[in-house]
Amino acid sequence: MTTRHRVANVDEFTDDPDRVIREVDGLEVGVFFVDGEYYALANYCVHQGAPLCEGRVTGEMDVDENWEWEYDHDPCVVTCPWHEWKFDLETGVNVSDDRYVTPTFETAVEDDTVYVLR
Amino acid sequence: MSTPLRSVEDLETIVDADSHVAESVDDIVEYIDGDRFSGSLEILSHSTNPVMDVYSNSLPTPGFVDRGYEIDDVHAKFDQLEEFGITHALIGPTTNLNIASVDNPQLALALANGYNSWVLEEFIERHDRLYGHVLVPHHKPDRAVEEIERLADRPSIRGIYLPGTGTVPPLGDERYDPIYEAASEHDMPVVVHASIGASHTMFPTQTMWNETYAEEHVITHPFTHMWNLTTMLLRGVPERFPDVTFVFQEAGVGWIPYLLWRLDDHYLQFADELPYLEKLPSEYVRDQFYFTTQPLGHTAHNGRHLAWAIEMAGPESIMYSSDLPHTDFDPPEELFDRIRPAFDDDVVAGIMGETAAEVFDLE
Ligand code: FES
Repeated sequence: MTTRHRVANVDEFTDDPDRVIREVDGLEVGVFFVDGEYYALANYCVHQGAPLCEGRVTGEMDVDENWEWEYDHDPCVVTCPWHEWKFDLETGVNVSDDRYVTPTFETAVEDDTVYVLR
Repeated sequence: MSTPLRSVEDLETIVDADSHVAESVDDIVEYIDGDRFSGSLEILSHSTNPVMDVYSNSLPTPGFVDRGYEIDDVHAKFDQLEEFGITHALIGPTTNLNIASVDNPQLALALANGYNSWVLEEFIERHDRLYGHVLVPHHKPDRAVEEIERLADRPSIRGIYLPGTGTVPPLGDERYDPIYEAASEHDMPVVVHASIGASHTMFPTQTMWNETYAEEHVITHPFTHMWNLTTMLLRGVPERFPDVTFVFQEAGVGWIPYLLWRLDDHYLQFADELPYLEKLPSEYVRDQFYFTTQPLGHTAHNGRHLAWAIEMAGPESIMYSSDLPHTDFDPPEELFDRIRPAFDDDVVAGIMGETAAEVFDLE
């Protein structure tokens, strides 16, 4: 059964994107605020165990019809501070290899309080 | 497989996936199309030392003691293969392994034209278990495609043969797309062969700093393939040409697992640079790339090590080759005896010939 865990007040997110890292029921979780939405991921990189959620939040590279780089600036990826593996903030899936997945959690906001459901 | 494999004689099919003829420039000049290449023929007639003034090859030292290969006709060639129990062979050149270093693109094309006609008429169309490839110079890919179109329908032609060494820019460059496109259209593998003579001024090795043939030979073959394979994979060639298979010849197998680990690791780290790929580089290799085994290297200390290297590289991607008549050739037993204890019979039969029979669609 999931429980709602209070992690922060909305005014703790002063930038966009911004994040807090909190312990939620024995697990460190990173809560990201990006463009009006909150995303929560385990602060643990499935590669070698780095504190993933301390990494940079960036856009994502794609390839256009001319087989050239095309960059989507909308922040959607967190880059692991250790070896730069990149994970989608929403799904936790590694952008290069979808067999590597970081656990994600639902979030909720009520009365200016941000919750993680776990 | 009905009878268990005990010795190499129990194999029905042994395919030499990288065999050679030993052509001279005089042999092939007679086969160059005189209407199309009259100018190049005139220039070639003034050559007194084609290794230098046409192919621009140089070596640190003479190297191999014996280059009198004595396989001057198709009978001598096949007799030599039979002596080693080889049932089928894919034939490539010797002198024209170095076609990449021919500085003049017109001469390169004329020489490829002559070699292709010569090897077809003198060798591979004279024997039903010898096959070959359309050799194409890399200099002008559109012209290379014309040569492919000229010969792709000849039944003995089973691949497109690209030089690996001295090929700049490397084979991941998009200028080669027309060649890969032609391979896809004609459903033929692209075969990439390394060679020592073509490397003298170009990556991966430079004669001026290698003091012996041995030094240059050790380095050139694996480095050539590492560069070409890396650029092809990281620039997405197999992603753009998912129907094409690629065969890398003559660098053995030990280098493959090392490179695959390294490629996968870099793919995961440098996602921003490499959005072209949909899966790990090693997975493209598993699905579309093959490697021929010669030269295995000195693996006598512990035969299992070779089997482990093949296990790591992916046994489905590995095909036996002899390199005959060159004097660093591997007889089939050298490979068979090391892999038989390590793999199931069907995997062994695959490596020794069945995989090549499938890749090159042999009868
Ligand atoms: S620990 Fe995260 S990329 Fe290695």
